[in-house]
Amino acid sequence: MRRSNPAPTSLAGRAGDAGLALWYALVVVFLFAPIATSIVYSFNLGTLGKQTALFTGWTLGWYGAAFDNLTLRHAVETSLVVSLYSAIIAVFVGSALGFAMVRHPRAAVRAALTGMTYILLIVPETVMGVSLLLFYAVTEIRLGMATLVAGITPLAISVTALIVRAGVLTLDRKLEDAAADLGAGRLQTFRFVVLPHLAPAIAAAALMAYVFSFDNLVVSTFLTTPLVNTLPVYLYGSLQYGPSPAIYAAASAIFAFTLAIVAVAGLLYRLAVRR
Amino acid sequence: MTDDLFAAVPTLWLFIFFFAPLALTAAISFGHSSFGDVAFGMTLDNYRTALSGFYRVAFLRTLQFAATGCLLCIVVAFPAAFFIARRSGRFEKAAIVLVLVPYFTSFLIRVMSWQILLSRGGPGEALLHGLHLYSGPLDLMDTKTAVFIGMVYSYLPIAIVPLYVVLRRIPVALEDAGRDLGAGRFSTFFLIILPLARPGIATAILLTGVPMLGEMVIPTLLGGDRGVLMGQAISSQYIDAQNYALGSAMAMLVLVSVGVLVALLARFTRGFAETAP
Repeated sequence: MRRSNPAPTSLAGRAGDAGLALWYALVVVFLFAPIATSIVYSFNLGTLGKQTALFTGWTLGWYGAAFDNLTLRHAVETSLVVSLYSAIIAVFVGSALGFAMVRHPRAAVRAALTGMTYILLIVPETVMGVSLLLFYAVTEIRLGMATLVAGITPLAISVTALIVRAGVLTLDRKLEDAAADLGAGRLQTFRFVVLPHLAPAIAAAALMAYVFSFDNLVVSTFLTTPLVNTLPVYLYGSLQYGPSPAIYAAASAIFAFTLAIVAVAGLLYRLAVRR
Repeated sequence: MTDDLFAAVPTLWLFIFFFAPLALTAAISFGHSSFGDVAFGMTLDNYRTALSGFYRVAFLRTLQFAATGCLLCIVVAFPAAFFIARRSGRFEKAAIVLVLVPYFTSFLIRVMSWQILLSRGGPGEALLHGLHLYSGPLDLMDTKTAVFIGMVYSYLPIAIVPLYVVLRRIPVALEDAGRDLGAGRFSTFFLIILPLARPGIATAILLTGVPMLGEMVIPTLLGGDRGVLMGQAISSQYIDAQNYALGSAMAMLVLVSVGVLVALLARFTRGFAETAP
């Protein structure tokens, strides 16, 4: 099916298309300008150790300052660990969910699971955060690493489930039938036919779950404690009281980190949904 | 057997760590309010409080902010999505990836730089002066406008994606047919493209409207302390005032708003088959 129009011949048509292209270019500039600003201002001298809107001069010092900040470093370590646990749980639970959403024999179950996954995405994070805080208060579970991890998993699970589901949809059932005909049991078919096919999708999902968990701010705000504080929550707190450019340096470093993971996940996803 | 296990494990996990806490919030919203304590009960007092005075203003303001923010998002996103889906030719893949990349990077880094861009004497002011679009100091930080800019900015990519998905499915032949039958560019757009794009518009409204209804971070960082929204109000009921019952009632109001939005959108797209990406 042809989807692109040939170049329009009328003047109005060409002007319209040029307008659309210009609009798109402006949107891209709008989307990237703030990110570029954050990175540029992580090199800003600032005034009296505070970030300033006026660029006062270049320095590399804030990256060192961010690295030497022990609270910040501790927050980074916590974030790395919390998102790792969250991603591991999401890979198992979310992949099972994504698979069952497509392959469960009963249509009603498939529909219920799909509905459940979408509900995870449409409950505002603030509501979820306070609900979890209340839940842990009522059940008298002390806030810590485990409660934080459990709290951010639903989001990671929904992301994982949707990516794995896309992978399962491209899976050819005939391959499984062939394996069965050749004498493989259900478990063997799953282990040697289904799983290898889904591996790129699961890997991409794991990386995205990691990034989403690492960046989680709203739910984490409610569940962090002075002992278990993640990087986004720490940065968010600092931003409310005239931050040092070191905060921008730390944020720029995370930006590079998450972008690299997303790039790998993107490549794996392309591999996963190719038939 | 494995099928049921695959369905049961996620369901169990999500019931414990997602649905049970939500149900608890719903239950507590009917409880008696007290400082720092949880008391079950069967009263509508919290809802009465949440819908009167200061809280009522915050709730209505939130609805208005989410509606305006959503609309602005779609208006900005639509031409961009249209370009990517139908006019970008062989660069289509690159064009959609380019707008998605910012969404997958740190939310905080994307919002925090607006504090610099919108400040007096910052690069935003310099740019507007340079383009001769504006003169004098830029006083946008801690205003409504700053919050709108932040919200449109943050959720623009997820408004573009569903619009793009639906627009690329509309056959070009329909546009050609419209034109052959004498429709101009504008009638083709409003009579053919726009009605067929409805499911995409609905998804875009949902994906942008839901976070905006609970928004807490953007108004805190860019809106100053004027004009509190529900996200902030709920959070401060839990963290500062420790009135869990009132906070829960306010959280339920946000959830009900989300439910109403979903129902309205379902009506709006009636007649379309499943088109979710």
